[in-house]
Amino acid sequence: MKKRLVSVLLSAVMVIGMLAGCGNSNGKAETKKESAKESEAENSDAASDSKSEAKKIKIGMTLYSLKNEFTVRLANAAQAKADELGIELLIYDGDYDPNTQISQIETMISEGVDGIILNPQDADACSPCVDKAVEAGIPIVGVNTRVNNEKLTSYVGSIDVTAGEMLMQSIVDALDGKGKVVIIEGPMGQSAQIERREGIQNVLDKYPDIEVLAEKTANWSRSEGMTVMENWLQAFDEINAIVGENDEMALGAKAAAKAANKDIITAGVDGITDALDAVESGDLRVSIFQDGAGQGSKAVEVLLAAINGEEVEENYWIDFEEVNQDNVAEFKKRAQ
Amino acid sequence: MEKTEKKAFHIKDFIAHYGVIIGLILIIAYFSIMRTKFLTMDNMVNMFRQMTINGMLAIGMTFVVLTGGIDLSVGSIVGASGMFSALIARTETGCPWYLAVLVGLGIGLLLGAVNGIAVAYLKIPAFIATLAMLSIARGITYMATDAKPVPGLSETFLKIGSGNIGIIPIPVIVLAVVLVICFVVLYKTRYGRYVFATGGNPVSARVSGINVKLITCSVYIISGVMAGVAGLILTSRVTSGLAAGGDGYEVDAIAAAVIGGNSLSGGRGRLWGTIVGFVIMGVMNNGLDMMAVSSYWQLVIKGLIISGAVMLDSLTKDK
Repeated sequence: MKKRLVSVLLSAVMVIGMLAGCGNSNGKAETKKESAKESEAENSDAASDSKSEAKKIKIGMTLYSLKNEFTVRLANAAQAKADELGIELLIYDGDYDPNTQISQIETMISEGVDGIILNPQDADACSPCVDKAVEAGIPIVGVNTRVNNEKLTSYVGSIDVTAGEMLMQSIVDALDGKGKVVIIEGPMGQSAQIERREGIQNVLDKYPDIEVLAEKTANWSRSEGMTVMENWLQAFDEINAIVGENDEMALGAKAAAKAANKDIITAGVDGITDALDAVESGDLRVSIFQDGAGQGSKAVEVLLAAINGEEVEENYWIDFEEVNQDNVAEFKKRAQ
Repeated sequence: MEKTEKKAFHIKDFIAHYGVIIGLILIIAYFSIMRTKFLTMDNMVNMFRQMTINGMLAIGMTFVVLTGGIDLSVGSIVGASGMFSALIARTETGCPWYLAVLVGLGIGLLLGAVNGIAVAYLKIPAFIATLAMLSIARGITYMATDAKPVPGLSETFLKIGSGNIGIIPIPVIVLAVVLVICFVVLYKTRYGRYVFATGGNPVSARVSGINVKLITCSVYIISGVMAGVAGLILTSRVTSGLAAGGDGYEVDAIAAAVIGGNSLSGGRGRLWGTIVGFVIMGVMNNGLDMMAVSSYWQLVIKGLIISGAVMLDSLTKDK
């Protein structure tokens, strides 16, 4: 009796779980129910699927993660633009794993998408994603992080080298060209890490009086940034500034510094909500704002153009902007 | 009266033993209805290719779990073997692809052996020993290249993860071969019987002359080698040695073994159950992705299924 009850329960759990998938609201619930009803009504054959495709263009997007504010912002903007343009958008979380992203691309292709947007975890490891899409004749637009593959249809992003330069320059200015700094990096191998570090180096080369005490990756994570900084506070007597390749890590490091009662000048990149607050309060000297929302919606536009057979540029660049105490109020308004 | 009793007994038993297969069939049926593209050849091929890494790990995990142990380090061993084989497989080294394969397998064997010795001879509980290896192996992997990825691998090596023989992906063929070998070893050899005996009752196993320590050590070596193979497949698929490769993969491997009806306390289990286990997980990943269920929900569903499977197993055991 017990065993039968449990096996029934288990099947029920699985069914409920999948129904949860049905009713899940990502702005896609309606469209899925519609196509599900269509498939069932017309006796599940390929024809019904292509009918709904002819009605509505379907695109898929995989981001290296949906577990941080910046990428979620990008995804939401893309969803909003897709809704506005009347196309269906399927969003996938790559879980920081290129293997997962490749699987998601394969699934999107099987699913019959008309276009793909790729936000890769790793510039080389995600190259097969582009190859597979191109082989299937599906346009693929990269967004926000680069992938080393020339067959990409187009790329929408911001020039990370510039971000690195703006970031480092703001610290140099705050230190009057002289001091000891630590650099916290993004995931090694992701284009943003590589290029921001390049930008940072471009500026460092011009100021020989700035000493880099240490540099390490904190994988875009606030908690990792905090841990890394705590260790550096133990290791070094004097640190004048923290150069954070993104806001999350910079904020984590700043928290560690504050906990140790040290007032260390800190700067980050992205302009996320917490960072804007921190710039306002003075915790962050500067945050280099990255228009994730702009990237997300532009990527959808560019992809639609490519799907419709129009010519698209190789790159669409969106500028980084420096947020400091003088202009932070404006940025806060924009973020609404 | 007698006849009715017998019939009822039969159905309960059937569900308890074969419930997973029924579950799998239901899931496949559900997804085929929801998404007509689910049952296409293209999608099936992809799905099976995507399952192979977890499949390898789950098979190795089955051997370990049958002896009442657990291997939490498989994800890190995947990363380590993948990274070191990548370093050898770079086109610039001029090394042949099979050397990279040997290195990958060798790392898996070595790390597995360390686990085995720790658990069997140093008497460190499996949970702790393999947890330590999880950290150590990952640390070594990061150190190898200072966390930087290793691209530029030789074409032949890359075929391992992305090539096909006919329409069947090479990883699937590798998995099939490994499965056949493991079936034979587990069910047709004395060694296989010893594995079951060791997990069922280590004391009586030892008393009947089985070298329990050796058997225990060996299953971790098997798990390590499987993780090594998985690392080769992963690296060749993503065309790059990744420092974080395999991160978290142990969870899915354990889930597959458990869903398949292998008891974590050892001695009871079935390899075919593991197969059903990782197929269910592969089907769920693929199907839920096709339906674009949010990744947050997918995590919840995965957890519910794992706990449901364990609940079913423990209640069956009472009998």
